[in-house]
Amino acid sequence: MSKLILRRIILAIGLIIVASALTFSIIAAAPGNVAALIAERKAGPSASAELVQQIAEELGLNDPLPMRYGRWFSDAIRGDLGDSLRTGKSIDQEFSERIPITAILLGGGGIIAFVMSLGIGLLGAVSNGRTVDHLLRAFALIGASTPNFFVAALLVIVFSVSLGWLPAFGGGSFVSWIMPCVTIALFPGSVLSRVVRVNLQEIMSRPFATTGFAKGYSRSSVLIYEALPNIAVPYLTTFGAQFTLMIIGSIVVETVFALNGIGAFFIEAIRFRDFISMQATLLLFIVFFVFVNLFVDIVCLFIDPRIRRETHG
Amino acid sequence: MNIKLDEPIFEVENLVIDLYAANVSVRAVDGCSFSVYPGETLAIVGESGSGKTVMTLGPLGLLPEGVSVDMKGIARSGDQNLIGQSEKSLAKLRGGNYGVVFQDPISALNPMKRIGPQLASQVFRLTGASKEKSKEIALDLLRRTGIPDPVDRYTRYPHEMSGGMLQRAMIALALAGRPRILIADEPTTALDATVQAQILELLKEIQRDENIAIVLITHDIGVVAAVADRIVILYAGRVAETGTVTEVLINPVHPYTKGLLASVPDLRAKQSELLTGIPGTPPDQSQLKPGCRFSDRCSNAIETCWQIRPTLKEIESSDGVHLVACPVEIANIKGKGNA
Ligand SMILES: Nc1ncnc2c1ncn2[C@@H]1O[C@H](COP(=O)(O)OP(=O)(O)OP(=O)(O)O)[C@@H](O)[C@H]1O
Ligand SMILES: [Mg+2]
Repeated sequence: MSKLILRRIILAIGLIIVASALTFSIIAAAPGNVAALIAERKAGPSASAELVQQIAEELGLNDPLPMRYGRWFSDAIRGDLGDSLRTGKSIDQEFSERIPITAILLGGGGIIAFVMSLGIGLLGAVSNGRTVDHLLRAFALIGASTPNFFVAALLVIVFSVSLGWLPAFGGGSFVSWIMPCVTIALFPGSVLSRVVRVNLQEIMSRPFATTGFAKGYSRSSVLIYEALPNIAVPYLTTFGAQFTLMIIGSIVVETVFALNGIGAFFIEAIRFRDFISMQATLLLFIVFFVFVNLFVDIVCLFIDPRIRRETHG
Repeated sequence: MNIKLDEPIFEVENLVIDLYAANVSVRAVDGCSFSVYPGETLAIVGESGSGKTVMTLGPLGLLPEGVSVDMKGIARSGDQNLIGQSEKSLAKLRGGNYGVVFQDPISALNPMKRIGPQLASQVFRLTGASKEKSKEIALDLLRRTGIPDPVDRYTRYPHEMSGGMLQRAMIALALAGRPRILIADEPTTALDATVQAQILELLKEIQRDENIAIVLITHDIGVVAAVADRIVILYAGRVAETGTVTEVLINPVHPYTKGLLASVPDLRAKQSELLTGIPGTPPDQSQLKPGCRFSDRCSNAIETCWQIRPTLKEIESSDGVHLVACPVEIANIKGKGNA
């Protein structure tokens, strides 16, 4: 068991190194020169070629790519992600201000997606084949195929503009978080509700479900007591994947609701060709992806007795 | 217990079960009747697909999801008719009154739950005993079914136990509500031969102690001969022949029964004697034709066999009631008797 976990952790670290090296080289290859950007900011649009060269030399931009990556990565491990080309502030400081905002957004969205998917999936399975089941399926299909910005716009029009119940901008009071969190949860919640529904359906045709019926359980009891524990592993695995994807959703949602989180930071970095911030944010995304999946993997190891027991010792 | 021995504990009359899946409909059970009495073992025998499972588990509402089921007829237990009950009341009736044992114990127990708690929660639900008492009863049940070291097995997951042990645990689960009737759907097919014999012995032992009625579904004539009292031979959803095991196995009358017995390997037979199978395949039950369903495979069939559906008729028997659904053979016997 502990061997298995150790192997996953080593794999995760390897994944972070490989993925960040990849993004580093892609960004390095992108058109636009960091040194030129800095020179432009210092001396205006007429910055001389010498100044650009000098800055490039100072930043080590003329060194070979692997060397630059090594330097950047070891700085990053020590907590130095460089300064934003756009604001001039250290990226560490930007992150410490922005991560809490994105954390609330993803945390709230994750909770909503969890409750929504289990609720819809179970209700669909209970009302197997009846109108409610079809309506919930239709809802999930719409939820999984409507883009975030559209959902956000719709919510703002209905709840802020027409009804005036909720503020159109997030980041303040509790209620101001409702629309951003709902928006970001709709897609994963819809996808996950289908995962719940389809897996429950499959498990209800297994012999042990029939045993449940034979024990005298009603259909909903079989669903809850016999089938539900058996979808834990596929559910959590998909939940992990969907949860990490929410960070991509945060780019749109934070922009629409004027939240100063990581997603908004990333889109600003792209807009201003702030390569340093882009690299730092992508590293953060990668670490987030890898750690969420590592966490889910380990939780699944503990949940499934077949894996837990067989790998004993 | 005030159960009359001469009254069946479970009685099925004229049962018709239609299954509708996707766009095909199948008459899986076509007018079957059988009954089982306290303390006896009724074997239900027939080829794969002949309707054994649907006929016995259908009335209890235990058919797999995904097919819609239409049932007609009577399935009586005491003064209750199971046919036409709502899902809820059927669920209530099932719990405890009917123990069910399935073919493959590893898939019939919940893989995410330990054996003991699966059992104890059922005891708790059905007997209303306290949690501690339920655990004790569950341990007793494990002991009762001959599981060695029950305290250790109590905390095991299904995948950590052998098939034979799991089938014992499954039987323990079926006994949790002290049922009067135990339905075992090929309980030994998935087990190896020595374990098979032990499980059958266990079922007999439980039957002796509790005077329980057992409905045993099997393809194995050897099993029937060893443990059953009466037998129902099912062919394509209809009863071909029924009677006591001694009578039917010694004096089979229906051509299908004869074929079935001839296809049983006889250990005493000389090696040169070839095993005889029944030529042809069972009919497609989604196409209902008049007449006897076995006629296409029957070497004795006469023209009327394809036109008139045979009914079960009682014939002379040295042991109990013997019913056969074959007018041709019955006429033969009568002919011989008169000659
Ligand atoms: N889930 C299902 N969907 C469609 N048809 C089914 C289903 N289950 C059973 N049937 C049909 O019902 C008929 C009887 O099936 P049943 O399972 O009772 O046979 P059986 O005698 O128990 O066979 P076996 O020995 O293989 O268990 C078969 O002809 C089969 O085609
Ligand atoms: Mg069967």
